[in-house]
Amino acid sequence: MKMKIQHVSFLAFMFCIVSIGGSASTPSKSQLEGIAPGDEKYYKASPDTIKCKDGSKKFTKSQLNDDFCDCLDGTDEPGTSACPNGKFYCRNAGHVPLSLYSSRVNDGICDCCDGSDEYDGKEGVTLRKREVEAAKLAVVKEESELSKLKNEEKILKGLVQQLKERKEQIEKSEEKERLVKEKEEKEKKEAEEANVEKSNFVEEANSQEGKLAESTNEEKIEILENSQSDQDVIQDYDDSVGEIAHFHNSGNGGSLNSSAEQENGDYADRAAKTEEESSVTYETGRDHGTEVLPDHGTELEKYASGNTESLSREELGRLVASRWTGENTGQQTGGVDAANDDDHESHEERPKDVQDEEYQGYDSETEDDSQRDDDDTKDLVEDFGDEDHGDSSSPYKSESDDELDLSEKTTSNPSWLEKIQRTVRNILEVVNLFQTPVNTSEAAHVLKEYDESSAKLSEILSRISRLTKKLKHDFGPEKEFYSFYNKCFESKQNKYVYKICPFKQASQEEGHSTTRLGNWEKFGDSYRVMQFSNGDTCWNGPDRSLKVKLRCGLKNEVTDVEEPSRCEYEALLSTPALCLEEKLMQLQDKLDLMKKEQPQSHDEL
Amino acid sequence: MRTVYLYHLLYLLLLVVHPSSVSSWKRDEFRNCNQTPFCKRARSRKPGSCALIATDVTIADGDLTAKLISKNPSQEDQEPIKPLILTLSAYQDGILRLKIDEDPTLDPPKKRFEVPDVIVPEFLNKKLWLQRVSKETIYDDSEYSSVMYLSDGYEAVLRHDPFEVFVREKGGKRVLSLNSHGLFDFEQLRVKNEEEDWEERFKGHTDTRPYGPQSISFDVSFYGADFVYGIPEHATSLALNPTRGPEVEDSEPYRLFNLDVFEYIHDSPFGIYGSIPFMISHGKARGTSGFFWLNAAEMQIDVLGSGWNGESSILLPSDQNRIDTLWMSEAGVVDAFFFVGPWPKDIVRQYTSVTGTLALPQLFATAYHQCRWNYRDEEDVENVDSKFDEHDIPYDVLWLDIEHTDGKKYFTWDRVLFPNPEEMQKKLDAKGRHMVTIVDPHLKRDESYYLHKEATEKGYYVKDATGKDFDGWCWPGSSSYPDMLNPEIRSWWAEKFSYKNYVGSTPSLYIWNDMNEPSVFNGPEVTMPRDALHYGGVEHRELHNAYGYYFHMATADGLVRRGDGKDRPFVLSRAFFPGSQRYGAVWTGDNSADWDHLRVSVPMILTLGLTGISFSGADVGGFFGNPEPELLVRWYQLGAYYPFFRGHAHHDTKRREPWLFGERNTELMREAIHIRYMLLPYFYTLFREANMSGIPVVRPLWMEFPADEATFSNDEAFMVGNSLLVQGVYTEGAKHASVYLPGGQSWYDLRTGTVCKGGATHKVEVSESVPSFQRAGTIIPRKDRFRRSSTQMANDPYTLVIALNTSQAAEGELYVDDGKSFEFEKGAYIHRRFVFSDGKLTSSSMSQSFHGKSQFSSDCIVERIILLGLSPGAKSALIEPANREVEIGLGPLHLRGGRSPPVLTIRKPNVRITDDWTIKTL
Repeated sequence: MKMKIQHVSFLAFMFCIVSIGGSASTPSKSQLEGIAPGDEKYYKASPDTIKCKDGSKKFTKSQLNDDFCDCLDGTDEPGTSACPNGKFYCRNAGHVPLSLYSSRVNDGICDCCDGSDEYDGKEGVTLRKREVEAAKLAVVKEESELSKLKNEEKILKGLVQQLKERKEQIEKSEEKERLVKEKEEKEKKEAEEANVEKSNFVEEANSQEGKLAESTNEEKIEILENSQSDQDVIQDYDDSVGEIAHFHNSGNGGSLNSSAEQENGDYADRAAKTEEESSVTYETGRDHGTEVLPDHGTELEKYASGNTESLSREELGRLVASRWTGENTGQQTGGVDAANDDDHESHEERPKDVQDEEYQGYDSETEDDSQRDDDDTKDLVEDFGDEDHGDSSSPYKSESDDELDLSEKTTSNPSWLEKIQRTVRNILEVVNLFQTPVNTSEAAHVLKEYDESSAKLSEILSRISRLTKKLKHDFGPEKEFYSFYNKCFESKQNKYVYKICPFKQASQEEGHSTTRLGNWEKFGDSYRVMQFSNGDTCWNGPDRSLKVKLRCGLKNEVTDVEEPSRCEYEALLSTPALCLEEKLMQLQDKLDLMKKEQPQSHDEL
Repeated sequence: MRTVYLYHLLYLLLLVVHPSSVSSWKRDEFRNCNQTPFCKRARSRKPGSCALIATDVTIADGDLTAKLISKNPSQEDQEPIKPLILTLSAYQDGILRLKIDEDPTLDPPKKRFEVPDVIVPEFLNKKLWLQRVSKETIYDDSEYSSVMYLSDGYEAVLRHDPFEVFVREKGGKRVLSLNSHGLFDFEQLRVKNEEEDWEERFKGHTDTRPYGPQSISFDVSFYGADFVYGIPEHATSLALNPTRGPEVEDSEPYRLFNLDVFEYIHDSPFGIYGSIPFMISHGKARGTSGFFWLNAAEMQIDVLGSGWNGESSILLPSDQNRIDTLWMSEAGVVDAFFFVGPWPKDIVRQYTSVTGTLALPQLFATAYHQCRWNYRDEEDVENVDSKFDEHDIPYDVLWLDIEHTDGKKYFTWDRVLFPNPEEMQKKLDAKGRHMVTIVDPHLKRDESYYLHKEATEKGYYVKDATGKDFDGWCWPGSSSYPDMLNPEIRSWWAEKFSYKNYVGSTPSLYIWNDMNEPSVFNGPEVTMPRDALHYGGVEHRELHNAYGYYFHMATADGLVRRGDGKDRPFVLSRAFFPGSQRYGAVWTGDNSADWDHLRVSVPMILTLGLTGISFSGADVGGFFGNPEPELLVRWYQLGAYYPFFRGHAHHDTKRREPWLFGERNTELMREAIHIRYMLLPYFYTLFREANMSGIPVVRPLWMEFPADEATFSNDEAFMVGNSLLVQGVYTEGAKHASVYLPGGQSWYDLRTGTVCKGGATHKVEVSESVPSFQRAGTIIPRKDRFRRSSTQMANDPYTLVIALNTSQAAEGELYVDDGKSFEFEKGAYIHRRFVFSDGKLTSSSMSQSFHGKSQFSSDCIVERIILLGLSPGAKSALIEPANREVEIGLGPLHLRGGRSPPVLTIRKPNVRITDDWTIKTL
């Protein structure tokens, strides 16, 4: 019994700590925990004993929510996880109340928006551990991204330089051309003026020259287009997405998979393959409706007659693969294959149009997704971020949009640099052959590529500088404050809104006016304080500064802001980052000592 | 006439349509013994045809060495046979090792392959250095025999003429012997004659066999044996039926050749995904002994029924209850181990001292896994995940099969279906759940695939017979296979699992190795040609059965490295070889959704456990086909006791997550999964036992009751640890089952608490669960609170279920650690022994004292102690040293499930599991 009492009072103590700032409406663990309001009178009805609702037995009031299951239906434990059949009523202050499975009570996961299902103090430790793991991973990722970016920067710089030279070359020759033209015109004019008689001859010559120029131009454009279309097959993602749509439009309902594979597969090969072939080869069951194709049928016949030896290696491979993928087995064994039967069954159960609908849904999603690839990913990342860290003090991302944007672009698509390199190489090769007069489309291409590459380069450079800046920061001994980097914490105190952006700055807002309370300085007091200094100067006083004291809490939340001495502000931020196991244990030890009810039972050594 | 005709037609149609009437196993695609020259040849040899004798017996390096030479040298029509080198070594705990190879000093054309990295290094330190060999004349031999010390009770004998090796009890009865029937044959490598054709052709495939015949075969006899067991993997009974003999009609030997067999049938000696050439015998007369041949080439093993050799055998007293076996391998050397037992647990301990014990899995891996080919996309994953919560069914791991990749290129993601794999994993992780993705050995031959590019450039692929990168067909189409025999390549492979290299992976992601037999769709017998070439010029034929093992090893190593050596890996493999237990779990491959496959899963898993591979399971529900809801429910009820518990399905099957079959079935499957979660503390304790001693998590009844003959061939029931007996329900519509409960003590029905007498068969009601019993005299730790996943159970309190025997006593164990790291190796664990006797329960520590090293602490308490079979009268209990009195009352045996009989319960003792304490009933 003593152990339990200690445990409960320790919990209560923890709550005191957590709720000092008066932040959230943390409910105390009363005996009526988890009971729906309408149900309370059932428990209050009789003075000492309560019946299990299933009538199986009775229990005393002291057994109500004592963390031991007495009624199989969970009547006696509405507020704990002791009875597996129990339900926990979650008030969910401010929202719709919920009824949770007892298995959710104190399991370390917040199911109630008001957090009332997680009243056990250990939660913070778990949260912190998770945060630390995530941070470590993220830092490693960013570091590797940084080195990758630096490498890319080098390559890109080279490319941009090449393009620049080419551009200048083009400009130069354009200039030259212009001069030549001017000169010609001038000469022509002079000639006209000087020799009117010869005008017929000159005209003829000019027109011939023009024709010649035209025809070479045409040829060159053709060459360029060819090389471009090759490139497209190899690298143009959008085009293949277009093809996905095309597959669907052509009524081949389930070939999303196969075409998606193709899109990433060997493109040179693909060009040679027919659509039918590929849908047989790569299709792995999403396509129940594929008809048996004639040539495959003969393969199967060959097989059925035991003559696999006449199959090519590839045909044999495909054939054996098709057993697992469940295609065309009907022919193979005359419809006796169990998998084949199932196939038919599933057709009955899942009409084809349902599938088609599904896949049409995918289809359009696919198209959109890839067209808006970057934006979408960003959105998702943000969404998740909100879910993950969202809490009442509504931290938000600061200047993270473009960062994530680029990081997605650069990390999710490792081959973009190769693409650019290849494009540039192709351009340079084509344009190398150039001669005056300069082909305008070639020139435009070079210019466009130059502009794009240099834009990309500056993007990369700024990402590099941002990353470098970020990684320079001290995120705590275990990087537990990593996630603070892109967060700001807000707290409204009377007419002021305080905004604390760790590693950046802090401010006080009143309506439209903003006062800077300080720029990020450092952590103090072994990571229990965040210091901001050099804020706006106080009239006749020091520069404003802010100390943010940190303490363990289940959420990141600014609970209190004060100005103990003029222009020196102090805030309190509760965060799981401070929830250290040792701390909790120390607290408990202290408590135990205070009680002095029995000799200490330390962990087994 | 006409109606009859129609009738016939209808009948024919029925026959054709009925799925179970036709097996789709492509029997003729695989070689049988007659189509396999070395097997055919060895099988046709007559007993006594071995004409070798042992000479030059000496002691060298603490081993006994000898030469095997032909008894009748240089017959004119034969090539002279070069002497073979024989080595016998003794190791601690009664293990004899026999090696026979060609004499390297006589310049053989090639060094024969010895399988590296299987024997654990510690084993080699256990060698006993022989001081002397004594001489003895046995029977009427003209030559004497050499006798060497093996252990205190046993000695090994090398009989010189005729050549024979055997182990016997000191000066007494034989235990195991080799070449007692003169079937030993060793084809030495030689230079090809002009006119010889060494090529072998099968189904349009040609094996060039550049080194010609090189097979080895011999007979091994087990004495005092009623049955032999082991040599997985086969879908067949636990006790191995004879494959040759007077009563056996035309049967194949047990084949050990790792193959990806499409729709394997449920009762066949045919080889499937894994191979362990380790056989165990057990009999009432002598106990248990074992024989292990470390060899990775194709092997065929005959179990010879008595009278197989007609009249020719000389009847000795020791021949009673002797089981003879014939072992045949295509290549390699003789590297064989004799284990003396004498009891079942000794045998597995001895065997795992050679090949290693089970790696302790992470706690989550011992919980329930949900798999399907395929969870389609992130939305599907999220949906399935939330449905588990909605139905309050716990699960720990969600699996992604091949379709999650970009074109079957492993380590990549289909970015259309899985645009944000990291977020997806994090969402699961937030609920304490994990994810597993598949990584197979076939790498797509696609120039844009970085792995293929790298492997090509570095020359890391297995080569074909001409020396080019071997090109086979698998899921991605044209593929090549990294040469996992080479440690450098394994290391390269391992690096691919780092978070940096495996883009989209997070710390909660683990790995599944499939198709690692290796499966090659267009290869001979759906695998790699035998003349393909590996590292060091090793032919694929020599190492075939170990390819998947090395792949598994490299993958597991990758996960260890990924976590800086701090996170235990989890890798499931389909192919396996001796030692695979050190790298993760295996499952029984692509089974089918029928009752026969449910039934055969039990002997298959038991056999794996006997041969060291403790962490195994069968796909719950059956991979191919759609299970009827009843079959699915029965499979969950049985699968909950598999060491590895995973639901899986082929992509052409209907969805079969546990909530899709109506409320009643959902309830039953939830209950089954809950039982597993409730017993996790017990299971985890058993995994630790397997990790320390090699004794498997699930065991044949005879391992716990070695003297009860009725259990020897029972493979429908099994033991989970030493305390639980479980039997599946293997027939449709069963209301009752007959269950044999062994031993002299009683058993308590796990669900009802009803007592049943031991040593008898009982009729058990099975409409709501499969038969399961706790053995009297045991204590089982449980956790009765249910959570979303095992992760959230870490701080939950325990229930102890004490089942008292006739002397009102019981004992049990509980092992706890952090469930994921390697800190337990440094002592960071809690291992308690609970003993109940004289009305008093005592908890004491079993951990060896580690001074100043790592520690593990837990605030977990025991919230409930259930006493089954306690003589009535106790009203309260006194806890010492706290000197606290708690009440004893009637409480439910189970918190779930409608009808739970009241049982004596110590209510809220709330003692910490870390502490020493006693609880005395008053």
